[in-house]
Amino acid sequence: MNPTTPTIRRRHRLAAAASTILLLAAAACSAGAASDDTEDAAASDEPVRGGELVYLDAEIPISALIQEQGTWQDRALFWNLTDRLVYRNAETGEFEPWIAESWEVSDDGLRYDFVIRDGVTYSDGTPVDAQSVARNLTRQVYGDEAKGLAKNYAFPDAAEITADPATRTVTVVLTQPWAPLLGALTGWAAGLLADSVLELTREEQSDYTNLVGSGPFTVESVEYGKAYVLTRRDGYAWAPQSSPNQGEAHLDTVTITPVQEDSVRLGTLRSGQAHLLRYVQPSEERALADDGYTVVARSGVGLANQWPLRQNAWPGDDPDVRKALQLAVDREQIIEDLYTENWSAATSVVSPGTLGYTDLSAEIGYDPQRAATLLDEAGFSERDADGYRVRDGRRLSLKTYVDVFDNTAKALFQHIQAQFKDLGVELVIDETDYSSYGQTVNADPEVNFTRTGWPHPDPAHGLWNVFSSARADSLKLEGADPQLDALLDAGLHAPSTDAEAAALAETQRYLLENALTIPILNDTQVYVGAPDVHGFTLSDGGLPEYQRAWLDAG
Amino acid sequence: MSRRAFVARRIAQAVLVIWLSYTLVFAVLFVLPGNPIRDKITNPLNPLPESVVRPLIEYYDLDLTLVEQYLVTLGRTFTGDLGYSLVSGIPVTELLAQGLSETLALAALALLFSVLLALGIALTAVFFPVAAVRSVVRALPAVFLSTPSFLVGFVLLVVFSFQLGWVSSIRDQGLVSYVLPALTLAIAVNAPIAQVLIQGLSRARGEPFVTVLKAKGVPPATIAGRHILKNGSIPALTLTALTVGDLLAGATIVETIFNRTGIGLITEQAVREQDTPVVMAIVVLVSTLFVVINLFTDLVYPVIDPRISLRAAAAPRRVRRRVAIG
Repeated sequence: MNPTTPTIRRRHRLAAAASTILLLAAAACSAGAASDDTEDAAASDEPVRGGELVYLDAEIPISALIQEQGTWQDRALFWNLTDRLVYRNAETGEFEPWIAESWEVSDDGLRYDFVIRDGVTYSDGTPVDAQSVARNLTRQVYGDEAKGLAKNYAFPDAAEITADPATRTVTVVLTQPWAPLLGALTGWAAGLLADSVLELTREEQSDYTNLVGSGPFTVESVEYGKAYVLTRRDGYAWAPQSSPNQGEAHLDTVTITPVQEDSVRLGTLRSGQAHLLRYVQPSEERALADDGYTVVARSGVGLANQWPLRQNAWPGDDPDVRKALQLAVDREQIIEDLYTENWSAATSVVSPGTLGYTDLSAEIGYDPQRAATLLDEAGFSERDADGYRVRDGRRLSLKTYVDVFDNTAKALFQHIQAQFKDLGVELVIDETDYSSYGQTVNADPEVNFTRTGWPHPDPAHGLWNVFSSARADSLKLEGADPQLDALLDAGLHAPSTDAEAAALAETQRYLLENALTIPILNDTQVYVGAPDVHGFTLSDGGLPEYQRAWLDAG
Repeated sequence: MSRRAFVARRIAQAVLVIWLSYTLVFAVLFVLPGNPIRDKITNPLNPLPESVVRPLIEYYDLDLTLVEQYLVTLGRTFTGDLGYSLVSGIPVTELLAQGLSETLALAALALLFSVLLALGIALTAVFFPVAAVRSVVRALPAVFLSTPSFLVGFVLLVVFSFQLGWVSSIRDQGLVSYVLPALTLAIAVNAPIAQVLIQGLSRARGEPFVTVLKAKGVPPATIAGRHILKNGSIPALTLTALTVGDLLAGATIVETIFNRTGIGLITEQAVREQDTPVVMAIVVLVSTLFVVINLFTDLVYPVIDPRISLRAAAAPRRVRRRVAIG
């Protein structure tokens, strides 16, 4: 599933017919690919230097304006072109030093001292020193209004940022604790940029060929919509400690090619014209794995996919109904019917591995009997001619729109629609086009929920941004639940990571015990690599890490 | 009416058409929900706070009223400043230049293929000695018309790229990369031309001058190639000009399948994101292209058929169009 903006798959219905032809045609190619794989396995332990990897994505990268977050495709580029102060180990979930070789946080959570690693340079040769880091952080916190540049929304609104070149230290002093700060520093939007970028206009900064970072790759060329070619950065020697490759990238180049049509993307991979792709239908995932392709998947840290129930739309204000809906979703059945073993059922509002994650599967687990009892007790014991529950002549009916950012959303929504129907609840699923989705679902007062939940560099910030009445207010409570707002604020302004984790645990429990939201699945990114791709890993947020990957020689 | 006065009147009409399309599309885009900047706030997946997005709204003048925005952008367009994409920050002129060079090459080749295909089909359908072959070929345009481009394109890709490996499905290999998409596009748009040409040729074939030519002993091939074709091709010529529109529209699908970044793909992206500056520029570009080509066609009629005068040029076209569509 795609966590952010533009990844709509509207053509897959059209392509469905065409893919039948492809499957027949591809059988011959794939037989060859599968048989090669066994030979490769032996030779794949030792990384091979060289090679030009071709990666296919469904969408076009849009803008290099890093602190404005970008789309998924942009983030995948930011991740490989820039480095960040702090790294979150995707396996352990722990913070690791990166460009900041060490840091200290004061007990009150108001002062952060980062010691900047020596010897790191941007690809234009300028040093990544304390002053440069301070300039970057200032821009993350304040944006650049004169240039029309937004700030990074995961950072606090104010901070005093100073650099001491003698001790290579950057000091950040806050007016109020901001627990997400370290997490925000690991995020794709916190990549460090050379001064030459910061001086450019908004439009110039949007251009990838102007992006100068200290990452393991640099931009060689961009042909809008066609090819984004990254070249290995010579002399790169500052990968995070846990990276198996502490030096330069193995690959000579990585070419990112957007291929919108699902079946063309698949055919291009299967015919050996590309090495890697993202965004396959789960049904294709299985077929590719059977043919010797490597499926690399990760549920990124952050929020789980979920349906926050709006309380300004009937019957979202009825706690018994909300609880019944939460218990009526058979997540395991959904995965069995629609997905693969790479996907997992949500067990909380955040995904496993995320700071403060608490397994609340017992609270939300599938329990149709209890759901039915709750609805009976709430007065929805009568059924109408269509088999739906009614109370005072009003059908128990909910409305939503299909999430336009996810290629599996429609089937997923329809599956839950069927599960709700078993309980006697109607789910009306509407559709709107990509560009008007956000404003349509926001403006429609009858909508009961829209899908949210994506990888996020910090769960406290992610939950606060989605649920707080001061932010997106996805429950449309408008401050009517001060306890929830207080819990969200406690996580956000916790003075330490432990305090943040404790607040997060409490927030998860509150959201789910009161059935304010229905967790569905853990957001999963799925990449498929050809048999000659090795060492390819995903970041904590499911972004590609090309520095570690290599291709078989020849 | 003199040729000069005719051209002047048509240019004035053309400017009016372009301005009206511009205004209409601007108003529609303004009324429709959704724009890429405000979507940053309402996007349920990643809602940005209003305070973060406010500098962008001001930067792009999105806080102005409809009329203010209209006057500002119209004024800029007049001075040749098409602005920047709201989404990617790329100058609109740069996007259009990339898209146009790509699509014009594709459309030109596709047009050539279309005309050749239509000629081949029509000549075979009217003059081929075996009746069975004539009726089969006569049915071809209908078959082409009802075959979706994405299917044709995809089958060609599967065979020539995925199976035979003759062309890349993603890399640009020069002229060879244009052949499959142009063929796909030609199959999609040649059918009406072929049908009208078949009608025209059949009708012209029955006219008295053909009997006269036969009586004079002119060889059948010369009659068909020089006399009937010339007389029967006027409606097809009109249609070929109109085909430019189909080519541009068809390019959207064909460019998606063959991964080409022409006007089709840029239009698709811009409309999807409601990237107003890009959409507006495309509207101006396409409407200009349309009126210029139609003007050109009107000027060419008298050259092919001296019976047509410029004075009459506007009126009979309507009749012909009806013939073309029917």
